[in-house]
Amino acid sequence: MSYSKHNTLLYVENLSVAYGDKVIIKDINFVEKDVVREGSVTGQVIAFVGRSGRGKSTLFRALTGLVKPTTGKILIADTLTDGGNDAKEVEEGDVGFVDQKYTLFRNKTVYEALLFALRNQKMTKEEKHDKIMSYLSEWGLEKAKDQYPNELSGGQRQRTAIIEQIFCSGHYMVLDEPFSGLDVGNIEDAKNAFNLISSLHSFNTIMYSTHDIELAVELADSIYVIGYPTIDGEHAHYGTIVKHFDMKALNLAWKEFGLGHLEIVKQIKTAMLAS
Amino acid sequence: MKYLVKPFEDVGKNTARMIVIFWIGALLLIWFLTSMGERHLFPSPQQVLTGFVELYNEGLVVHIASSLWLCVIAIFVAIIISLILTYLSTIPVIKPIAIAVSKLRYLPLTGITFYLAILISNARTMQIWVLVTFMSTYLTTSLLSMVNAIGEQEFDHARSLKCNRWEVLWEVVVKGRIDHVIEVIRQNLAIVWMMLVTVESILVAAGGLGFLIKNSDKFMNHGRIIALQIVILTLGLSIDFILSFIRKTFFRYSKI
Repeated sequence: MSYSKHNTLLYVENLSVAYGDKVIIKDINFVEKDVVREGSVTGQVIAFVGRSGRGKSTLFRALTGLVKPTTGKILIADTLTDGGNDAKEVEEGDVGFVDQKYTLFRNKTVYEALLFALRNQKMTKEEKHDKIMSYLSEWGLEKAKDQYPNELSGGQRQRTAIIEQIFCSGHYMVLDEPFSGLDVGNIEDAKNAFNLISSLHSFNTIMYSTHDIELAVELADSIYVIGYPTIDGEHAHYGTIVKHFDMKALNLAWKEFGLGHLEIVKQIKTAMLAS
Repeated sequence: MKYLVKPFEDVGKNTARMIVIFWIGALLLIWFLTSMGERHLFPSPQQVLTGFVELYNEGLVVHIASSLWLCVIAIFVAIIISLILTYLSTIPVIKPIAIAVSKLRYLPLTGITFYLAILISNARTMQIWVLVTFMSTYLTTSLLSMVNAIGEQEFDHARSLKCNRWEVLWEVVVKGRIDHVIEVIRQNLAIVWMMLVTVESILVAAGGLGFLIKNSDKFMNHGRIIALQIVILTLGLSIDFILSFIRKTFFRYSKI
């Protein structure tokens, strides 16, 4: 499937995060560019996999600007400028973040939460209302409009959290284990949500972690394995990228799950077990 | 019947109601039986009833209103002080002050009343400030626990929506936990109510239920004392019920 790479959307260089003396992640370097495919709008879907405790959540907190890097830098495209090729250091709120529990404001209904997410947008009250109603309809949340988070199902909470971030954070979104605790139907909904976000704008970049390797391989066009690196024959006790699979270069992106994907699943599992 | 004495056994609503009625009946029966005869520990139901009538004729309603008003004023002032301290405790430079106020709950009442008596001459104001001083320490303790119990993900969520730190405080802690504040008041009410009676009995000039209890105690009128205890318990439980009702009615999302 032909594609071309354009502007750099995400640039991570020499990233490390330490809490006191404890180094959680170190030497993280990667670049993701805007992928352009003829005839379709395609965002970037990037998966991070790795065993528990390898620093995926810390990496996500750094990518979303919620924790300051101890060393290194994280640059994202400043999409508000005309050229779309300027870079800026990531700050709180630049990158949307949906955590594992799909956290929402407990005291706001779905509608109120989305209205709050739009509070800084230069739109009239009516425009905001129309936008919210259109998203609620498109994402199957119309009936849940006036419900509080404790009255929503896991899938409804997740979709609300995703729309909130779409409204507020622009083109980037990080989802920490978006498929955990969801039933088969809700997983399908989450996959559809990925496709929907991806098809909205070519700059849209979804980064997610998962323990479901098959889902990572099926959905992502770029997969990073986070694990403990082996240095001089011994495991270091900090997380880093131990392997990268560019599914586009492997000609496996945007395709039905097949034998090629299964081979990648095997390789990822091997890399995970070794790190 | 065997299931009624089995640990962790679920019983229906009607059965649960019957169990409660049984225990109330048993309590009343024990009361009747133990208060019969010449020598008895508790006053008889007849003596308590007489105590009620006497108290009513002596202005029980006015004293109840006086105690309730004192309670409302003291709770209002104490909760305002405690909330300000708690919300500001999220600022590192203020945190030690809030923690120190919380620790003051271990101070005895006598020491504080001495200094308050020097500063305040009016009996009613004195009662209010004795209560406020002590309630603030307990309320601050509970409110600090409330803030500490908020998960990091809630703060992260607000920050990811471009909330600055003051907005995070407003949205997550202040607005997001109003129902918890009501619950904190409800949970501390028992201490407040107990202290209110003590404070009123120390400073009798302004009247109230505490004054009535002390007065009855002086004359060994046990019928009146038990009657007052029943009034105080009923009022306390009523306030508890009202606060719980308000929380559940006005905060649909509240599942504490």
